[in-house]
Amino acid sequence: MIRDVDVAVIGGGSAGLAAAVTAARRGARVMLLERHGFLGGMGTASLVHTFCGLYLLRSGPGAELANPGFPTEMAERMIAATGLGPVRMGRLDVLPQHPAEFVRIADDLVSAEPSLSVQWHTEVIRLGKSDGRWEIDWACRGTLGKTICTALVDASGDAVTADWIGGLHEVAPRLQRPAYVFGIQGVESFPDEARLAMAGTLVEGMRSGVLPKSALGLSFRASGRPGEMFGTLDLTGGESESSYDPLDPVGLSVLEAEGRRVASSVVDHLRRSDAKWSSAFISQWPVRAGIRESRRWVGRACLTGDQIEAGARFDDEVALATWPMELRERASGPKWRFPLEDLPTGIPLGCLRVPEHDDLFVAGRCISVDHDAQASIRVMGTCFATGQAAGLAAAIQAGGGDPANASAELIRQ
Amino acid sequence: MNIEVEGSTVIEWLRSEEILPLVESFSTGDDLFLAGLDSMAVMQMVVAAEERFGVQLQTTDLSKENLGTAEALAALFTIRRA
Repeated sequence: MIRDVDVAVIGGGSAGLAAAVTAARRGARVMLLERHGFLGGMGTASLVHTFCGLYLLRSGPGAELANPGFPTEMAERMIAATGLGPVRMGRLDVLPQHPAEFVRIADDLVSAEPSLSVQWHTEVIRLGKSDGRWEIDWACRGTLGKTICTALVDASGDAVTADWIGGLHEVAPRLQRPAYVFGIQGVESFPDEARLAMAGTLVEGMRSGVLPKSALGLSFRASGRPGEMFGTLDLTGGESESSYDPLDPVGLSVLEAEGRRVASSVVDHLRRSDAKWSSAFISQWPVRAGIRESRRWVGRACLTGDQIEAGARFDDEVALATWPMELRERASGPKWRFPLEDLPTGIPLGCLRVPEHDDLFVAGRCISVDHDAQASIRVMGTCFATGQAAGLAAAIQAGGGDPANASAELIRQ
Repeated sequence: MNIEVEGSTVIEWLRSEEILPLVESFSTGDDLFLAGLDSMAVMQMVVAAEERFGVQLQTTDLSKENLGTAEALAALFTIRRA
Protein backbone atom coordinates (compact mmCIF):
# COMPACT_ATOMS: atom_id res chain seq x y z
CA MET A 1 0.00 0.00 0.00
CA ILE A 2 1.76 3.18 -1.19
CA ARG A 3 0.33 6.69 -1.07
CA ASP A 4 1.96 9.75 -2.63
CA VAL A 5 1.15 13.24 -1.32
CA ASP A 6 2.63 16.74 -1.12
CA VAL A 7 2.64 16.99 2.65
CA ALA A 8 2.46 14.28 5.30
CA VAL A 9 1.77 15.13 8.93
CA ILE A 10 2.81 12.72 11.67
CA GLY A 11 0.51 12.97 14.67
CA GLY A 12 -3.03 14.36 14.82
CA GLY A 13 -2.95 16.25 18.11
CA SER A 14 -3.69 19.96 18.26
CA ALA A 15 -0.53 20.83 16.29
CA GLY A 16 -0.92 18.09 13.66
CA LEU A 17 -4.59 18.90 13.11
CA ALA A 18 -3.73 22.58 12.59
CA ALA A 19 -0.85 21.69 10.26
CA ALA A 20 -2.86 19.27 8.12
CA VAL A 21 -5.89 21.53 7.73
CA THR A 22 -3.74 24.60 7.00
CA ALA A 23 -1.62 22.79 4.40
CA ALA A 24 -4.75 21.40 2.69
CA ARG A 25 -6.39 24.83 2.60
CA ARG A 26 -3.32 26.18 0.85
CA GLY A 27 -3.81 23.60 -1.89
CA ALA A 28 -1.49 20.79 -0.87
CA ARG A 29 -2.49 17.14 -1.05
CA VAL A 30 -2.09 16.11 2.57
CA MET A 31 -2.03 12.89 4.54
CA LEU A 32 -2.39 12.94 8.31
CA LEU A 33 -1.20 9.85 10.19
CA GLU A 34 -2.67 9.32 13.66
CA ARG A 35 -2.28 6.42 16.07
CA HIS A 36 -5.72 6.74 17.71
CA GLY A 37 -9.19 6.49 16.17
CA PHE A 38 -9.82 10.22 16.52
CA LEU A 39 -7.86 13.47 16.45
CA GLY A 40 -7.04 15.92 19.23
CA GLY A 41 -4.26 14.16 21.16
CA MET A 42 -3.83 15.70 24.59
CA GLY A 43 -7.19 17.47 24.25
CA THR A 44 -9.10 14.26 23.52
CA ALA A 45 -7.15 11.07 24.27
CA SER A 46 -5.65 12.57 27.42
CA LEU A 47 -8.79 14.53 28.41
CA VAL A 48 -7.01 17.87 28.94
CA HIS A 49 -10.08 20.09 29.04
CA THR A 50 -8.85 23.67 28.78
CA PHE A 51 -7.24 25.46 25.86
CA CYS A 52 -4.38 27.45 27.38
CA GLY A 53 -2.27 29.94 25.45
CA LEU A 54 -5.10 31.20 23.21
CA TYR A 55 -5.27 34.64 24.81
CA LEU A 56 -2.84 37.49 25.44
CA LEU A 57 -1.82 38.23 29.02
CA ARG A 58 -3.67 41.24 30.33
CA SER A 59 -4.38 43.36 33.38
CA GLY A 60 -7.27 45.29 31.80
CA PRO A 61 -10.70 43.93 30.88
CA GLY A 62 -11.53 41.63 27.97
CA ALA A 63 -9.78 38.44 26.85
CA GLU A 64 -8.04 38.96 23.50
CA LEU A 65 -7.01 36.15 21.14
CA ALA A 66 -3.28 36.10 20.40
CA ASN A 67 -2.98 34.20 17.11
CA PRO A 68 -5.18 34.76 14.03
CA GLY A 69 -6.18 31.98 11.65
CA PHE A 70 -6.53 28.42 12.88
CA PRO A 71 -6.17 29.07 16.66
CA THR A 72 -8.88 31.74 16.49
CA GLU A 73 -11.12 29.47 14.42
CA MET A 74 -10.72 26.67 16.99
CA ALA A 75 -11.64 29.05 19.81
CA GLU A 76 -14.76 30.16 17.93
CA ARG A 77 -15.79 26.61 17.09
CA MET A 78 -15.30 25.42 20.66
CA ILE A 79 -17.25 28.34 22.12
CA ALA A 80 -20.09 27.55 19.71
CA ALA A 81 -20.00 23.86 20.69
CA THR A 82 -19.90 24.25 24.48
CA GLY A 83 -21.62 27.61 24.93
CA LEU A 84 -18.78 28.55 27.29
CA GLY A 85 -16.48 31.54 26.82
CA PRO A 86 -13.02 32.19 28.26
CA VAL A 87 -12.66 31.95 32.04
CA ARG A 88 -10.33 34.07 34.15
CA MET A 89 -8.11 31.95 36.39
CA GLY A 90 -5.90 34.15 38.54
CA ARG A 91 -3.88 36.22 36.03
CA LEU A 92 -4.75 34.00 33.06
CA ASP A 93 -7.55 33.50 30.56
CA VAL A 94 -8.33 29.92 29.56
CA LEU A 95 -11.01 28.50 27.30
CA PRO A 96 -12.86 25.47 28.72
CA GLN A 97 -13.01 22.78 26.07
CA HIS A 98 -14.76 19.41 26.06
CA PRO A 99 -12.84 16.42 24.64
CA ALA A 100 -15.99 14.98 23.05
CA GLU A 101 -16.64 18.29 21.24
CA PHE A 102 -12.99 18.53 20.20
CA VAL A 103 -13.29 15.12 18.47
CA ARG A 104 -16.33 16.30 16.52
CA ILE A 105 -14.83 19.66 15.61
CA ALA A 106 -11.70 17.92 14.32
CA ASP A 107 -13.87 15.55 12.24
CA ASP A 108 -15.72 18.50 10.73
CA LEU A 109 -12.48 20.34 9.94
CA VAL A 110 -10.77 17.45 8.17
CA SER A 111 -13.84 16.23 6.29
CA ALA A 112 -14.31 19.72 4.83
CA GLU A 113 -10.93 19.47 3.04
CA PRO A 114 -11.13 17.23 -0.05
CA SER A 115 -7.35 17.23 -0.49
CA LEU A 116 -6.77 15.98 3.06
CA SER A 117 -6.95 12.32 3.98
CA VAL A 118 -6.65 11.06 7.52
CA GLN A 119 -5.38 7.62 8.33
CA TRP A 120 -6.23 6.48 11.85
CA HIS A 121 -4.85 3.51 13.80
CA THR A 122 -1.52 4.20 12.16
CA GLU A 123 1.84 4.25 13.90
CA VAL A 124 4.86 5.51 12.00
CA ILE A 125 7.72 3.04 12.32
CA ARG A 126 10.47 4.36 10.06
CA LEU A 127 11.42 7.45 8.10
CA GLY A 128 13.91 7.75 5.28
CA LYS A 129 14.60 9.56 2.03
CA SER A 130 14.54 8.27 -1.51
CA ASP A 131 15.11 10.36 -4.66
CA GLY A 132 14.92 13.53 -2.60
CA ARG A 133 11.51 12.76 -1.13
CA TRP A 134 10.43 11.44 2.26
CA GLU A 135 9.40 7.85 2.68
CA ILE A 136 7.36 7.09 5.75
CA ASP A 137 6.83 3.48 6.75
CA TRP A 138 3.84 2.86 8.95
CA ALA A 139 1.99 -0.03 10.52
CA CYS A 140 -1.71 -0.50 11.07
CA ARG A 141 -2.49 -3.61 13.10
CA GLY A 142 -0.01 -5.73 11.22
CA THR A 143 -0.57 -4.12 7.84
CA LEU A 144 2.59 -2.37 6.65
CA GLY A 145 2.42 0.56 4.26
CA LYS A 146 4.32 3.53 2.92
CA THR A 147 3.56 7.19 2.40
CA ILE A 148 5.77 9.25 0.11
CA CYS A 149 5.73 13.02 0.47
CA THR A 150 7.59 16.15 -0.60
CA ALA A 151 7.42 17.95 2.75
CA LEU A 152 6.97 16.47 6.19
CA VAL A 153 5.57 17.83 9.45
CA ASP A 154 6.58 16.11 12.69
CA ALA A 155 3.75 16.86 15.11
CA SER A 156 4.30 13.65 17.04
CA GLY A 157 4.91 15.40 20.37
CA ASP A 158 7.85 13.11 21.06
CA ALA A 159 9.97 13.94 17.99
CA VAL A 160 9.54 10.28 17.05
CA THR A 161 11.30 10.65 13.70
CA ALA A 162 14.42 12.45 14.98
CA ASP A 163 16.52 9.41 15.79
CA TRP A 164 15.71 7.63 12.53
CA ILE A 165 17.15 10.38 10.33
CA GLY A 166 20.08 11.31 12.57
CA GLY A 167 18.45 14.62 13.57
CA LEU A 168 19.68 16.55 16.59
CA HIS A 169 17.37 16.12 19.55
CA GLU A 170 17.39 16.26 23.34
CA VAL A 171 15.46 15.27 26.43
CA ALA A 172 15.73 17.55 29.47
CA PRO A 173 17.20 15.83 32.54
CA ARG A 174 14.25 16.81 34.73
CA LEU A 175 10.94 16.75 32.87
CA GLN A 176 7.61 18.37 33.57
CA ARG A 177 5.44 15.79 35.25
CA PRO A 178 2.66 14.20 33.21
CA ALA A 179 -1.00 15.09 33.86
CA TYR A 180 -3.40 12.24 34.46
CA VAL A 181 -6.98 13.32 33.73
CA PHE A 182 -10.09 11.22 34.32
CA GLY A 183 -13.86 11.75 34.14
CA ILE A 184 -16.14 11.63 37.19
CA GLN A 185 -19.90 11.52 37.44
CA GLY A 186 -22.41 11.24 40.28
CA VAL A 187 -21.50 14.46 42.12
CA GLU A 188 -24.67 16.48 41.73
CA SER A 189 -23.27 19.90 42.54
CA PHE A 190 -19.85 21.07 43.52
CA PRO A 191 -20.00 24.63 44.92
CA ASP A 192 -16.89 26.40 46.17
CA GLU A 193 -17.58 25.44 49.79
CA ALA A 194 -17.75 21.74 48.87
CA ARG A 195 -14.49 22.17 46.99
CA LEU A 196 -12.75 23.50 50.11
CA ALA A 197 -14.20 20.72 52.27
CA MET A 198 -12.94 18.20 49.72
CA ALA A 199 -9.45 19.69 49.91
CA GLY A 200 -9.58 19.19 53.68
CA THR A 201 -10.85 15.61 53.33
CA LEU A 202 -7.95 14.80 51.01
CA VAL A 203 -5.35 16.37 53.31
CA GLU A 204 -6.76 14.36 56.23
CA GLY A 205 -6.64 11.23 54.09
CA MET A 206 -2.96 11.88 53.48
CA ARG A 207 -2.24 12.64 57.14
CA SER A 208 -3.79 9.33 58.12
CA GLY A 209 -1.87 7.47 55.43
CA VAL A 210 -4.97 6.35 53.49
CA LEU A 211 -4.00 8.40 50.45
CA PRO A 212 -0.62 8.60 48.73
CA LYS A 213 1.21 11.92 48.78
CA SER A 214 0.64 12.33 45.06
CA ALA A 215 -3.06 12.96 45.80
CA LEU A 216 -1.84 16.43 46.79
CA GLY A 217 -1.41 17.20 43.11
CA LEU A 218 -5.09 16.64 42.38
CA SER A 219 -7.64 19.19 41.23
CA PHE A 220 -11.21 18.97 39.98
CA ARG A 221 -13.01 21.02 37.39
CA ALA A 222 -16.60 20.91 36.16
CA SER A 223 -16.73 19.72 32.56
CA GLY A 224 -19.54 22.10 31.64
CA ARG A 225 -21.91 19.15 31.19
CA PRO A 226 -24.51 18.29 33.86
CA GLY A 227 -23.14 16.05 36.61
CA GLU A 228 -19.74 15.59 34.99
CA MET A 229 -16.31 16.63 36.29
CA PHE A 230 -12.70 16.01 35.44
CA GLY A 231 -10.05 15.17 37.99
CA THR A 232 -6.47 16.12 37.12
CA LEU A 233 -3.50 14.57 38.83
CA ASP A 234 0.16 15.38 38.41
CA LEU A 235 1.95 12.06 38.20
CA THR A 236 5.30 11.50 39.79
CA GLY A 237 6.49 7.99 39.26
CA GLY A 238 6.34 7.99 43.07
CA GLU A 239 9.29 10.33 43.53
CA SER A 240 9.35 13.93 44.68
CA GLU A 241 11.21 14.85 41.48
CA SER A 242 10.14 13.48 38.13
CA SER A 243 12.85 11.49 36.44
CA TYR A 244 10.87 9.19 34.21
CA ASP A 245 11.75 8.42 30.60
CA PRO A 246 8.84 9.42 28.34
CA LEU A 247 10.14 7.17 25.56
CA ASP A 248 10.49 4.01 27.63
CA PRO A 249 7.59 1.54 27.44
CA VAL A 250 8.20 0.25 30.95
CA GLY A 251 8.20 3.74 32.44
CA LEU A 252 5.09 4.75 30.51
CA SER A 253 3.31 1.61 31.65
CA VAL A 254 4.11 2.44 35.28
CA LEU A 255 2.67 5.93 34.76
CA GLU A 256 -0.62 4.66 33.40
CA ALA A 257 -1.04 2.17 36.23
CA GLU A 258 -0.09 4.76 38.84
CA GLY A 259 -2.60 7.27 37.45
CA ARG A 260 -5.45 4.80 37.74
CA ARG A 261 -4.35 3.65 41.19
CA VAL A 262 -4.13 7.16 42.70
CA ALA A 263 -7.34 8.35 41.02
CA SER A 264 -9.22 5.30 42.29
CA SER A 265 -7.92 5.69 45.84
CA VAL A 266 -8.93 9.36 45.93
CA VAL A 267 -12.44 8.80 44.62
CA ASP A 268 -12.93 5.82 46.98
CA HIS A 269 -11.77 7.95 49.92
CA LEU A 270 -14.12 10.81 49.01
CA ARG A 271 -17.06 8.40 48.62
CA ARG A 272 -16.46 7.16 52.17
CA SER A 273 -15.70 10.53 53.78
CA ASP A 274 -17.75 13.21 52.06
CA ALA A 275 -21.55 13.04 51.70
CA LYS A 276 -21.46 15.05 48.47
CA TRP A 277 -19.34 12.31 46.94
CA SER A 278 -21.28 9.28 48.19
CA SER A 279 -22.62 8.45 44.69
CA ALA A 280 -19.52 9.49 42.76
CA PHE A 281 -17.87 7.18 40.26
CA ILE A 282 -15.07 7.34 37.73
CA SER A 283 -16.81 7.45 34.36
CA GLN A 284 -13.87 7.73 31.99
CA TRP A 285 -10.19 6.85 31.85
CA PRO A 286 -7.87 8.64 29.46
CA VAL A 287 -6.58 6.66 26.50
CA ARG A 288 -3.15 7.68 27.72
CA ALA A 289 -1.54 9.88 30.38
CA GLY A 290 -1.00 13.48 29.30
CA ILE A 291 2.70 13.90 28.57
CA ARG A 292 3.75 17.51 29.06
CA GLU A 293 7.37 17.27 27.99
CA SER A 294 9.34 14.72 26.04
CA ARG A 295 12.10 14.55 23.44
CA ARG A 296 12.31 17.64 21.27
CA TRP A 297 14.17 18.69 18.16
CA VAL A 298 17.27 20.89 18.22
CA GLY A 299 16.48 23.21 15.34
CA ARG A 300 17.89 26.17 13.46
CA ALA A 301 16.80 28.46 16.31
CA CYS A 302 16.14 27.71 19.97
CA LEU A 303 13.71 29.82 21.97
CA THR A 304 14.74 30.22 25.62
CA GLY A 305 12.96 30.86 28.90
CA ASP A 306 14.79 34.17 29.24
CA GLN A 307 13.43 35.27 25.86
CA ILE A 308 9.90 34.40 26.95
CA GLU A 309 10.42 36.29 30.19
CA ALA A 310 11.49 39.34 28.18
CA GLY A 311 8.82 39.00 25.47
CA ALA A 312 11.35 38.72 22.63
CA ARG A 313 10.16 39.29 19.04
CA PHE A 314 11.69 38.10 15.76
CA ASP A 315 11.56 39.09 12.08
CA ASP A 316 10.73 35.52 11.05
CA GLU A 317 8.22 34.81 13.83
CA VAL A 318 5.24 32.66 12.84
CA ALA A 319 3.32 32.38 16.11
CA LEU A 320 2.96 34.09 19.48
CA ALA A 321 3.53 32.35 22.80
CA THR A 322 1.42 33.92 25.55
CA TRP A 323 1.18 31.29 28.29
CA PRO A 324 3.61 31.91 31.17
CA MET A 325 6.12 29.18 31.88
CA GLU A 326 4.15 26.67 33.93
CA LEU A 327 6.74 24.50 35.61
CA ARG A 328 5.50 21.23 36.99
CA GLU A 329 8.68 19.39 37.90
CA ARG A 330 7.96 19.07 41.62
CA ALA A 331 5.28 17.43 43.74
CA SER A 332 4.25 20.69 45.39
CA GLY A 333 2.09 22.06 42.57
CA PRO A 334 2.78 24.32 39.59
CA LYS A 335 5.43 27.04 39.75
CA TRP A 336 4.96 30.00 37.45
CA ARG A 337 7.45 32.14 35.62
CA PHE A 338 5.63 35.10 34.07
CA PRO A 339 6.88 37.41 31.30
CA LEU A 340 8.11 40.52 33.12
CA GLU A 341 5.73 42.88 31.36
CA ASP A 342 3.02 40.39 30.38
CA LEU A 343 4.26 40.61 26.76
CA PRO A 344 3.79 37.85 24.16
CA THR A 345 6.88 36.19 22.66
CA GLY A 346 7.42 35.51 18.98
CA ILE A 347 8.22 31.95 17.94
CA PRO A 348 10.66 32.16 15.01
CA LEU A 349 10.27 29.82 12.03
CA GLY A 350 13.77 28.55 12.88
CA CYS A 351 12.32 26.76 15.93
CA LEU A 352 10.18 24.73 13.50
CA ARG A 353 13.04 23.86 11.14
CA VAL A 354 16.03 21.57 11.53
CA PRO A 355 19.58 22.22 10.28
CA GLU A 356 19.88 19.23 7.92
CA HIS A 357 16.57 19.24 6.06
CA ASP A 358 14.78 22.05 4.23
CA ASP A 359 11.67 19.89 3.80
CA LEU A 360 11.03 18.93 7.43
CA PHE A 361 8.96 21.07 9.77
CA VAL A 362 8.20 20.57 13.45
CA ALA A 363 5.08 21.63 15.35
CA GLY A 364 3.65 21.35 18.83
CA ARG A 365 5.43 20.53 22.06
CA CYS A 366 8.57 19.10 20.42
CA ILE A 367 9.72 22.24 18.58
CA SER A 368 13.21 23.60 19.23
CA VAL A 369 13.15 25.42 22.59
CA ASP A 370 14.84 25.05 25.96
CA HIS A 371 13.28 23.31 28.96
CA ASP A 372 11.83 26.50 30.49
CA ALA A 373 10.41 27.84 27.21
CA GLN A 374 8.84 24.45 26.56
CA ALA A 375 6.76 25.00 29.72
CA SER A 376 5.11 27.88 27.84
CA ILE A 377 4.85 26.68 24.24
CA ARG A 378 3.52 23.16 25.03
CA VAL A 379 -0.08 24.32 25.63
CA MET A 380 -2.73 23.57 23.04
CA GLY A 381 -3.50 27.19 22.11
CA THR A 382 0.14 27.66 21.12
CA CYS A 383 0.30 24.22 19.47
CA PHE A 384 -2.55 25.30 17.17
CA ALA A 385 -0.39 28.27 16.19
CA THR A 386 2.87 26.39 15.61
CA GLY A 387 0.89 23.69 13.78
CA GLN A 388 -0.65 26.28 11.51
CA ALA A 389 2.78 27.74 10.78
CA ALA A 390 4.39 24.35 10.10
CA GLY A 391 1.51 23.30 7.81
CA LEU A 392 1.74 26.53 5.86
CA ALA A 393 5.53 26.36 5.54
CA ALA A 394 5.33 22.70 4.44
CA ALA A 395 2.70 23.51 1.79
CA ILE A 396 4.85 26.36 0.48
CA GLN A 397 7.92 24.12 0.37
CA ALA A 398 6.04 21.29 -1.36
CA GLY A 399 4.76 23.77 -3.96
CA GLY A 400 8.29 24.83 -4.84
CA GLY A 401 8.25 28.08 -2.88
CA ASP A 402 10.42 29.37 -0.05
CA PRO A 403 9.05 28.44 3.39
CA ALA A 404 10.65 31.60 4.76
CA ASN A 405 7.61 33.35 3.24
CA ALA A 406 5.36 31.70 5.83
CA SER A 407 5.75 34.61 8.23
CA ALA A 408 4.66 37.16 5.61
CA GLU A 409 1.75 34.97 4.49
CA LEU A 410 0.51 34.67 8.06
CA ILE A 411 0.62 38.44 8.52
CA ARG A 412 -1.42 38.95 5.33
CA GLN A 413 -4.13 36.68 6.73
CA MET B 1 7.23 33.08 71.30
CA ASN B 2 5.21 35.64 69.40
CA ILE B 3 2.29 33.67 68.01
CA GLU B 4 0.64 36.51 66.10
CA VAL B 5 0.88 36.05 62.32
CA GLU B 6 0.75 39.16 60.11
CA GLY B 7 -1.13 39.37 56.81
CA SER B 8 2.00 40.62 55.07
CA THR B 9 3.89 37.58 56.34
CA VAL B 10 1.24 35.34 54.77
CA ILE B 11 1.56 37.09 51.39
CA GLU B 12 5.34 36.71 51.45
CA TRP B 13 4.95 33.08 52.42
CA LEU B 14 2.41 32.31 49.66
CA ARG B 15 4.86 33.86 47.19
CA SER B 16 8.02 32.20 48.48
CA GLU B 17 6.36 28.77 48.71
CA GLU B 18 5.08 29.46 45.20
CA ILE B 19 1.57 28.51 46.21
CA LEU B 20 0.20 31.54 44.35
CA PRO B 21 1.88 33.89 41.84
CA LEU B 22 0.69 37.08 43.62
CA VAL B 23 1.41 40.39 41.88
CA GLU B 24 3.67 42.98 43.56
CA SER B 25 0.73 45.22 44.49
CA PHE B 26 -1.29 42.42 46.15
CA SER B 27 -2.52 43.59 49.55
CA THR B 28 -3.62 41.76 52.71
CA GLY B 29 -7.30 42.46 52.05
CA ASP B 30 -7.33 41.33 48.39
CA ASP B 31 -9.30 38.24 47.31
CA LEU B 32 -7.07 35.16 47.24
CA PHE B 33 -9.64 33.11 45.33
CA LEU B 34 -9.63 35.65 42.50
CA ALA B 35 -5.83 35.40 42.57
CA GLY B 36 -6.10 31.69 41.76
CA LEU B 37 -6.49 29.91 45.11
CA ASP B 38 -8.16 26.68 44.00
CA SER B 39 -8.68 23.41 45.86
CA MET B 40 -5.26 22.13 44.81
CA ALA B 41 -3.54 25.29 46.04
CA VAL B 42 -5.53 24.99 49.29
CA MET B 43 -4.15 21.47 49.80
CA GLN B 44 -0.61 22.66 49.14
CA MET B 45 -1.17 25.54 51.51
CA VAL B 46 -2.55 23.41 54.34
CA VAL B 47 0.43 21.07 54.13
CA ALA B 48 2.92 23.95 53.90
CA ALA B 49 1.27 25.76 56.84
CA GLU B 50 1.98 22.80 59.12
CA GLU B 51 5.67 23.27 58.55
CA ARG B 52 5.88 27.06 58.48
CA PHE B 53 3.37 28.07 61.16
CA GLY B 54 3.00 24.82 63.10
CA VAL B 55 -0.77 24.70 62.59
CA GLN B 56 -2.73 21.60 61.68
CA LEU B 57 -5.83 22.94 59.94
CA GLN B 58 -8.96 20.79 59.94
CA THR B 59 -11.59 20.45 57.22
CA THR B 60 -13.92 22.69 59.24
CA ASP B 61 -11.29 25.48 59.13
CA LEU B 62 -11.41 25.58 55.34
CA SER B 63 -14.21 28.09 54.74
CA LYS B 64 -14.33 30.92 52.21
CA GLU B 65 -14.25 33.40 55.10
CA ASN B 66 -11.12 31.89 56.63
CA LEU B 67 -9.18 31.55 53.39
CA GLY B 68 -10.46 34.53 51.37
CA THR B 69 -7.73 37.06 52.22
CA ALA B 70 -4.21 37.10 53.65
CA GLU B 71 -5.61 38.95 56.70
CA ALA B 72 -8.17 36.20 57.33
CA LEU B 73 -5.54 33.50 56.89
CA ALA B 74 -3.20 35.28 59.32
CA ALA B 75 -6.01 35.44 61.88
CA LEU B 76 -6.77 31.74 61.38
CA PHE B 77 -3.12 30.76 61.83
CA THR B 78 -2.88 32.95 64.96
CA ILE B 79 -5.96 31.33 66.52
CA ARG B 80 -4.80 27.82 65.71
CA ARG B 81 -1.35 28.48 67.18
CA ALA B 82 -2.76 29.75 70.45
